[in-house]
Amino acid sequence: MPRTLAALRGHSAHFARTALICSTLLAGAAAAKAEDINWRQFEGASIVWAYDIHPYADAVAAQLPEFEKLTGIKVTPELYPDDAYWNKLTIQLSTKSPSWDVVGTGIQPAWDLAPGQLLEPLDRYLNDPKLTSASYDYKDFFPALRDALTWEIKGGQIEAGRGQVWAIPHGFENIQLFYRKDILDKHGIKVPTTPPEMSAACEKLKSADPGITPLGVRGVRFWSSIHTAAISIAKSYGVHDFVVKDGKLETGLDSRESIAFHKDYVEMIKKCAAPSFANDNWYQVVDGINSGRTAMAIDSNMFGFWNNVAGKPASGKIAFAPPLRAPNGKNFESNIWIWSLAMNAASQKKGAAWLFIQWATSKQVELNGAVAGKLVNSPRASTWSDKVWLDYAAKPEFTNFVDTFKSVQDRAALAFTPRVGFAEAMNAWAVAMQKMVNGADVKATLTDLASEIRSSM
Amino acid sequence: MDLRGTDATVTLQSSAGQLAPSKNEQVQSVEQHALDWWSLAAIAPAIIILLGFLFLFFYGVFQSLTDLKFGRPLVRFIGFTNYEVAIKTQDFWNSVRATMAYACSAVLAEALFGLALAKLFASGVFLARMMRPVILLPLVLPPMSVALMWTTMMDPQNGILNYLLSLIGIGRFAWISDASTAMFSLVLIDIWTYTPFFALIIFAGLQGINDEVREAARVNGAKGWATFLHIELPLIAPYILIAAIFRLIESLNQFDIVFGTTQGGPGDSTSVLSVRAYITAFQNLAFGRGAALMVVNWLIVLLGTLAMVKLWRSVRQRVS
Repeated sequence: MPRTLAALRGHSAHFARTALICSTLLAGAAAAKAEDINWRQFEGASIVWAYDIHPYADAVAAQLPEFEKLTGIKVTPELYPDDAYWNKLTIQLSTKSPSWDVVGTGIQPAWDLAPGQLLEPLDRYLNDPKLTSASYDYKDFFPALRDALTWEIKGGQIEAGRGQVWAIPHGFENIQLFYRKDILDKHGIKVPTTPPEMSAACEKLKSADPGITPLGVRGVRFWSSIHTAAISIAKSYGVHDFVVKDGKLETGLDSRESIAFHKDYVEMIKKCAAPSFANDNWYQVVDGINSGRTAMAIDSNMFGFWNNVAGKPASGKIAFAPPLRAPNGKNFESNIWIWSLAMNAASQKKGAAWLFIQWATSKQVELNGAVAGKLVNSPRASTWSDKVWLDYAAKPEFTNFVDTFKSVQDRAALAFTPRVGFAEAMNAWAVAMQKMVNGADVKATLTDLASEIRSSM
Repeated sequence: MDLRGTDATVTLQSSAGQLAPSKNEQVQSVEQHALDWWSLAAIAPAIIILLGFLFLFFYGVFQSLTDLKFGRPLVRFIGFTNYEVAIKTQDFWNSVRATMAYACSAVLAEALFGLALAKLFASGVFLARMMRPVILLPLVLPPMSVALMWTTMMDPQNGILNYLLSLIGIGRFAWISDASTAMFSLVLIDIWTYTPFFALIIFAGLQGINDEVREAARVNGAKGWATFLHIELPLIAPYILIAAIFRLIESLNQFDIVFGTTQGGPGDSTSVLSVRAYITAFQNLAFGRGAALMVVNWLIVLLGTLAMVKLWRSVRQRVS
């Protein structure tokens, strides 16, 4: 992701001036009102927007009255817990139900959904001057994020880099290590940088205070467990989910590097994670850090931010660091997740749905969401050069959030190979991880996993 | 009154009626024929609905014979390939074992606990009478709520169950978070939820036993335990088996409790067929393979149910 950071840094001076002017002048709905499209062209329509229960959704939901006032379109948010949401999303879209018009998704699930024509390509909306305001400025989104959400489908597979736009980013996450300063300081523990260092730190913490879970990591039997800590650390060991061998796509999960990574990672989980690892999703990870039951966590960076907000019990106690790396590796790696808004291809109110997507990902809504302490990883360059946001994020209670974000973002990238079948392969990896943590032989489990993935390719 | 004469008349009329149908009967017969069409029209919606159900079932079976999957532009008929692929994997057999272990142990334990509870209710003790309505509470909760409630209680670190165990000096138990204890924990949840179902039906059976039978046994010198074992138990056996049939069907298909707590994990330790089929179809988007797993699950349910029905019939005959 050097391009993303370059965009962050390169644009900063230019955007600081522009965005400051924008944020001052274009407050609230006034920005949209001044534009050249008719925002009331779908007045009276009523749409449903489905999303994960997530502060990013809260940020948009809090501003919905503005949208309804601007367009006359009624938006009903339907928010579901994380794993329930993904299952429901697949069912809703695969049954071609029109009941959801706009859905929240990441790139990886969208890879599986797009070829079945379950998502509506958004190019024609973006390029229609009657439907898209000139000030929307699609190019303001970081190029890497735009590229990641643009691909074409050839022979039922994904060809990334060019093609159609399948969703619009409205928030992203990079994977970091964040920790309770108060706990580590109390026990004199240095912030670990590798899995073996983490294992040692966990042993020290456990012996000092058996009531504390040293490390919070997702472990549920679902791809969301893989796309955070596991894939980020694995990448620094040189593990690839897929590799091209003799011109053919092949899984890399039974490679030498993968075995080395899994041995260290499984050992680390056994020594560090909560006994409920197999049932832990991000809710448990965040709750642990927030309440002080967990000393460290490897997950999406903004979880630390949200709990540092003034008034929260952990405010100012959480600090940030890059994710762990391989002991002999030179660099850490960080996977990115892009929360995006997509349109259900079966929606019967596509015009109204597009106006909502456009509004929800507009500069003003992004900035408002960020400054409200919710949409803190805005995908828009203009937000990151906005003084209001940067001043807010640099407050003492957020410790080293901005600096760490920038240094991690330098190396953050989408760690998965774009392909249809993402969910199947990664779900299988999550199950294999649980088996290994429960004592199954690492090499044999990875061999089985690779053969399972090959059989479905 | 000349009764003989009247009888004779009746007899003659009857005989005449047997020799040739009267005009009235002919009309009646035609009317009956016409009524058959009305009956047919009346049950037509039911037949259509039934055919609709059957169509969906056979469509599911057909899907299991295809490579239906998202992202595939063409769906091909591949015969029994999905089944062949499945049965060659260790994970499939793990799921079959998990399905059978879950259903059999849950039904057996529920029958035993249900029997004990029913006997307690039938005793007429004041406390038992008070408990009767309360014991039914788990049955009226949605299974997914039950799953979520128990997931919280079984949290190895913060769950109330481990706290309660700690009060009596028992250390931390992993419950649903460890592969070796997860199945036991799920069966425990099922037992808590569905034992009242058994208790209710067996209690109805016990109420149906005539007190004279018990009295006769007592007069013949049978003590309480012997009366229960040789008189009551055989009489309520058909009730126990009918409850077991219903519960076996549900347990072999159990999804909510398993998915809501472990999603089939840790590893594959609680990956019963219904959960594996769901994950294959709706998380991995391989509908053909998911359908094949559901058909296998259906066959297991069918065979289990047929065996139980046969047992129930033979027990009922013996009781009769």
